Amino acid sequence: MKVEAIIREDCLDAVVGRLLLIHVQGLTVFPVKGAARGDAHRAVFRGSSYPVPFVSKLLIEWYGTDDEAEAVVRAIQRAAATGTGGDGKIFVERVEEAVRIRTGERGLDAI
Amino acid sequence: MLNKLKERLRQKEYRRLFAVIIASKVIGVVVLLLAMKAASAYLFTPAFADDAPAPPPAYVNPINTMWTVIAAFLVFFMQAGFMGLEAGFARTRETVNVLLEGIVDTCLCGILFWAWGFAFMFGAGNGFIGHQYFFLQGVPETYGSTGVAFLAYWLFQFAFADTCSTITSGAMVGRTGFVGDLLYSFGVSGFIYPIIGHWAWGPDGWLTAIQPVAFHDFAGSTVVHTIGGFIALSGCIVLGPRLGRKFKRDGGGAMPGHDMTIAAIGGVILWFGWYGFNPGSTLSAMDAAGCGRVAANTTLAACAGGLSALFFMYPRNKIWDCGMTVNGFLAGLVAITCPCYWVSPTGAIILGAVAGVVCALAVDLMEWLRLDDPVGAVAVHGACGIWGTLSLGLLGCGLYGAPGPTGADNSDASVVTGLFYGGGTKVLVSQAIGSASITVATFAVSMLMMYAVKLTGTLRVSKEGEIEGLDVHEHGGTAYPELIGAGSSMHSPMGSGGVASTAAAE
Repeated sequence: MKVEAIIREDCLDAVVGRLLLIHVQGLTVFPVKGAARGDAHRAVFRGSSYPVPFVSKLLIEWYGTDDEAEAVVRAIQRAAATGTGGDGKIFVERVEEAVRIRTGERGLDAI
Repeated sequence: MLNKLKERLRQKEYRRLFAVIIASKVIGVVVLLLAMKAASAYLFTPAFADDAPAPPPAYVNPINTMWTVIAAFLVFFMQAGFMGLEAGFARTRETVNVLLEGIVDTCLCGILFWAWGFAFMFGAGNGFIGHQYFFLQGVPETYGSTGVAFLAYWLFQFAFADTCSTITSGAMVGRTGFVGDLLYSFGVSGFIYPIIGHWAWGPDGWLTAIQPVAFHDFAGSTVVHTIGGFIALSGCIVLGPRLGRKFKRDGGGAMPGHDMTIAAIGGVILWFGWYGFNPGSTLSAMDAAGCGRVAANTTLAACAGGLSALFFMYPRNKIWDCGMTVNGFLAGLVAITCPCYWVSPTGAIILGAVAGVVCALAVDLMEWLRLDDPVGAVAVHGACGIWGTLSLGLLGCGLYGAPGPTGADNSDASVVTGLFYGGGTKVLVSQAIGSASITVATFAVSMLMMYAVKLTGTLRVSKEGEIEGLDVHEHGGTAYPELIGAGSSMHSPMGSGGVASTAAAE
């Protein structure tokens, strides 16, 4: 399974800490930008304002067995929630194949 | 931090520690003061009053020269401030270009000021141009009646000229070709600044001879800042806006600068450099009261300018605007540059506060006129230079005259009294004549110069170059290569190197 979550930048430490508690390691983190729903945020430079159409978020990816996935989803949801708009989303997908590049192992062995 | 302090003050041990620290400091200061008192009583015998005026003591010229070179070093350091401010307010894609322009302007200006800039500006000649000391030949030991060693005076004035040419590049950031920059800098440092500056500061400039009151410009609100600001304006007009810049009237907004940290620090470095710019313009450490007053006035005007710009801008966007506050205190500094010697501290605060608002309104005006000035050079240096020059006619407090090699000349004949202090309008009229003639002449000549450079086809980079970014197009790389893939890997970012060649080696 693949768990993909878009979270706030400052929630990363909380998410990683929470995952360590349930003995889950191995994440990929991407800095990403997303278009916010609703009005664009506005910033000001030397007196004149300009629109900021995108907000910075982090995209984290985790790959693992089906059993673990549910716990990972729950951990991320709890750690990344602040209760205000813009907390992000979590998606779960099925993975077709996994290969460890160093050894060529496949499937669950590769994870 | 305050909370932490409060918490600590509640604990007895910390209270005791603070008490010990403060008590020891007080004791230390008292001991130091006593020691100074004792030492001065032993070392210096009281001076005896002489009936005949004695020639100035031998230490006067060295002291004044040392003060002038130290001030020159401070003014020179303003280059660092300008480079920081302009680079911070520019975008990532033109940072190298901004930095290199700052450096090359300095180098070019030094050579030109040696060759003929100083001769045009400070050599004797007629009211409009000087022609003495070309290539610094045939120079006397000290300059004029200042008692300052000639080359120290040259260095100080070179630093001023350099400031003027760097101001210009600020409004032209992001689309000026490098060759075009060299050409117009040659015109600014070699001709426009020295020749027009001669009118106000040359030994026989026509503005020093106007009746009934000479034009006063203590450290260059007009000579340095208005000239720089209006050349910047003409450059901005002839160049046109950066590609993709939409103005407020057309539903657009600012193109944000890329580094507020370096911009704000650059602004504060400029403030620091101004302590050479203004107090150094006394050219005399013997006028100690004047130096102190000028330094204090400079500070107060900057403080007032920063605050007034900050609070003036708050209602508009409901935010505390750092960029405009930096421009605001710079506006206060530009404005105090002309009147710093002749106004009271209260006057400095008033004119600095007005300058902060003038600057903010001038930025709006530029936006409305669809002129793209990325750093606000025209608003800060052009508009506030004019305001500062005129403000002397209003706020000259009528107590101070002119600095001299051995002390201030505050005689009735030389004091400057403004309109608000009962001096009538004659100072204001002189200031208006000086400011208007220099502004108009500068603007006219620099428009001609910018169009001439434009005719050579080098003033603005090609559209392709601008889309690519000036740094990549003209200077072969960005200021921050690690941010853009290439160079962020552990391998040298070479076309033939990288992963493939490493694998082959294995």
